[in-house]
Amino acid sequence: MKTKTKISKAKLVMSITIGIACFALMLVMFMQFKVVKQTDITSIETMRESDLRTELSDWKAKYTELTELYDDVTSRIAEYQSESETDEETAQLLQSELAELNEALGLTDVEGEGITITIQDNGGQELPDDMGYVSNISETDLLVIINELFDAGAEAISINDNRIVAMSDIFRIGGAYLQVNSEPIRSPYVIKAIGDPTYLESAAYNKDGRLTALQEAGHSIQIESSKNRKIQIQKYNGTISTKYMN
Amino acid sequence: MIVIAIILGCVIGAVIGINAPVIPYTYSTFLAIAVVAALDSVFGGIRSVLKKNFDLVVFITGFFCNSILSIALTYLGQKLNIDIYLAALLVFVGRMFTNLTIIRLHYIDKWKEAKAQKQAKPKAIEEK
Repeated sequence: MKTKTKISKAKLVMSITIGIACFALMLVMFMQFKVVKQTDITSIETMRESDLRTELSDWKAKYTELTELYDDVTSRIAEYQSESETDEETAQLLQSELAELNEALGLTDVEGEGITITIQDNGGQELPDDMGYVSNISETDLLVIINELFDAGAEAISINDNRIVAMSDIFRIGGAYLQVNSEPIRSPYVIKAIGDPTYLESAAYNKDGRLTALQEAGHSIQIESSKNRKIQIQKYNGTISTKYMN
Repeated sequence: MIVIAIILGCVIGAVIGINAPVIPYTYSTFLAIAVVAALDSVFGGIRSVLKKNFDLVVFITGFFCNSILSIALTYLGQKLNIDIYLAALLVFVGRMFTNLTIIRLHYIDKWKEAKAQKQAKPKAIEEK
């Protein structure tokens, strides 16, 4: 009995020891398997030198190929960029052209040096020395004044804040009111003109001009030159639509 | 009992080994050489069992010392920039082959003996 337990004890020790050895062996083995499985470098390291050389030259060829491709793409991108820049330039040019045209058409608010003429219609008042009555300011008066101002180099003109554009109309309705751009206006008529103040002034004070004639006819006229001050002229309020023009 | 211990050790080792964190590739050479050294010890152990001169102390010390020594040699080889582990590998694998041959021859002998006995038995009956 005693010997039997002794033997089994020895066997137990042996079993445990061998078990531990097996454990250690398998542990290390599987760890190694895992490492090898996860590392691709193994294949490179186990390659022969000649294989490595061919592989290297392959990769070099691929590299040059890719570099060429890269350069190609880069140059194409640069091309596109310059193209888009020129597009932008064109767009800017068109934009400025559009702005200029709008300005010329009178579709934008403008400001600048010029003169302001205020005409007080004294129509109906008695003239001194029994000369009769002062006649009302007619549409022709205004048309002539505007014509004179444009002749003097006016760039933008408005009457009572009604911008004079190519399609502006100035006429009398019903013998009572004057109408500019289909808007009825009343005295005092404020004519604003942007341009060289000196020229505009001289045109306004011209002895043969309509303003002088009106003043002589009994209307009170005030001419204000704004040499260092900017006057503002509003844009044309209507819409310019063409139906028959192509 | 020993069989149970071997199976248990193998299974637990495999499970832990699979779930263990991956060691850096630089150190995998050490592990590999340790594995080879341990395997060499295992085959040596089997041979000694068959030859009936198995000593547990010799086996265990050989198992662990060979592994550790081979790792140390590999490390030294890395420091000296010479592949000492190749020499260790050569020795271990060479010994593994010798041991395997011995084991193989042992079983062939056994098989031949058994065959001879089988042939001898009917003859004995006939003689009777």
